[in-house]
Amino acid sequence: MNLRDGRRTIATALMGPWRTAPIIISLVAIAIFFNTQSSLFLSSRNLTNLANQIAVLATVALALVGLLVVRQIDLSLAALAAVCGGIAAKLSVESNLNVGLAIVVALAAGAAVGVVQAVVVNVFRAPAFVVTLGGMFVLNAVLLWLLPATSVIPLADTPLEKIANTFVPAWLSYVLLLAVVLLFAGMRFAHHRARLGEGMPSNLVRSTVIPAAALAAVGLVPLIFVFNAYRGVPTPVVIVLALMAGIAYVTSQTPLGRQIYAIGGNPEGARRAGISVPLVTTVVFATGGFLAATAGIMAASRELGVSSANSDLTLLLEALAAVVIGGVSLFGGRGTVWAALLGSLVIGSISNGLYLLNASTQMRWTIEGLVLVAAVAIDSTISRKSGAQRDS
Amino acid sequence: MNASLLEVRDVAKSYGAVTALKRASFSVRSGEVVALAGDNGAGKSTLIKILSGSISADSGEVRFAGEPVSIGSPNDAARLGIQTVYQDLALCDNLDVVDNIFLGREPRGPWWRGFRVRRPRMERLTADALASVGIRIQRVDVPMGHLSGGQRQCVAVCRAILGDPKVVILDEPTAALGVAQRREVLDLIVRLRDQGRGVILISHDLVDILKVADRIVVLRLGETVADKPGAEWTEHTLVSAITGATAGEQR
Repeated sequence: MNLRDGRRTIATALMGPWRTAPIIISLVAIAIFFNTQSSLFLSSRNLTNLANQIAVLATVALALVGLLVVRQIDLSLAALAAVCGGIAAKLSVESNLNVGLAIVVALAAGAAVGVVQAVVVNVFRAPAFVVTLGGMFVLNAVLLWLLPATSVIPLADTPLEKIANTFVPAWLSYVLLLAVVLLFAGMRFAHHRARLGEGMPSNLVRSTVIPAAALAAVGLVPLIFVFNAYRGVPTPVVIVLALMAGIAYVTSQTPLGRQIYAIGGNPEGARRAGISVPLVTTVVFATGGFLAATAGIMAASRELGVSSANSDLTLLLEALAAVVIGGVSLFGGRGTVWAALLGSLVIGSISNGLYLLNASTQMRWTIEGLVLVAAVAIDSTISRKSGAQRDS
Repeated sequence: MNASLLEVRDVAKSYGAVTALKRASFSVRSGEVVALAGDNGAGKSTLIKILSGSISADSGEVRFAGEPVSIGSPNDAARLGIQTVYQDLALCDNLDVVDNIFLGREPRGPWWRGFRVRRPRMERLTADALASVGIRIQRVDVPMGHLSGGQRQCVAVCRAILGDPKVVILDEPTAALGVAQRREVLDLIVRLRDQGRGVILISHDLVDILKVADRIVVLRLGETVADKPGAEWTEHTLVSAITGATAGEQR
């Protein structure tokens, strides 16, 4: 194997199964750097705090992954999050509605807005960029109508506050992890048995035992050294991880997931294969709206109040940066749930670390911007070297 | 097996003032490769679109296994057992070989198994299908974008034959392929025929057509102008028929 082939092989591996390796290495580097600057950075308290902060960002990023994969975008996600947070707060605090019901209404409203925007995009074949830009303006207006400029709904000592400020006790976190690992092992085992049933080779240890053990290890480290060394796992972190696991299952294991990626890869090919492109994109938009509402409710709970200032364009832009850092293609067809998680961790750690160092806002934005540009440059280089990018 | 499997009689189609097909007729039997030759605008693509259910004819008759049929949609064509491999292949570069072959018809588990795709079964069926037509692809779990042009064509054909169609329509399968890849695809066409399928081949490449076609049908300006066994053609007579240089060929 000559040098050029070697480089190509490495690039191909980085495009495929090792896609996340550079991001994880960057995360470790970021953690080491900040910890040498401030020993507080890796403290269980700060990392718990960081995880709680990232939950909102990661949820919006998760919504963007699905949309970008099907060649769409939703610029109204942050505004929608604020509106849905406002709806939940207003219903539960001002109208004294049961908090569970208020949350359900807010989540449904988020999904409904997603559906409406998807219908406009599909019926008029209008670019989602513009449709959702308009949606953002309208939603900001709705927010002002819901919460006039000076009004604030305080959430301290309300049931809504408890979402962000409740910690899962240590024993329960281990039980949950065990359940997840067992479920995962069961799925791997079913796959292993099915392969044997088709007369194909499969190794029990390599197909089931090692992946399940790896998942257990990946789960145990943060549980023992971060969350349970402080106050336990914050509820938003559990919510985000559950959403990610569910969406990861749908995208990687079901026909719907195949259809989503097929539309991103070749919309006309997907259509000829009998896939209803408008229906699938509508499902993705609705899920995006639902996730935005989830993010909005978690944000309201963490910030102990909602006001019209909650519509935060920075949240949308940081989420966009996070998914690009995570390796999601802006041209569709490529990107995973884990991109949202890892990208949010990168953006969140840098932001949190610079806060600890008392860096100025201009310093933070400069560094976040440069990291984003560097990530895109590296990503484009890897894509090119692997030969995966075809001229189109 | 002398009866026609698929037969087209005097089919016509106009787009507004433009007549794409005037009086096109041809037929294909089981285990036969029929090539449709003709210059640009001769009506080859229109004819294929009618047979694959993308558009419908203005007049004329299509018979399948002797019975008159109407092919109103790609699904109708699939139900009859007619599969088309389009020139652009309609593959998704970001999905792997297995997912491309099963796209839109993945076998999946019941709801209580979370509608999980039966990936091991798909992998075995893919391996079987590839082997049945003698295609060698080292790994079926690599993204489509990493395969060569010939391999992509083979995967597209493999996807078409998964439902065991009786007629396979190939639209310009050798365009933009290298010499070795071209031979690979031509071998594949012969194997489809040997499996007893009717193959309709549309190609600009006269050398390819003369090499594999059992019968060559020439279309000119929307009309069938010649229909003869492959052995009776030479490159010279074929060019003449396509361009109309020797008028009176059929008269």
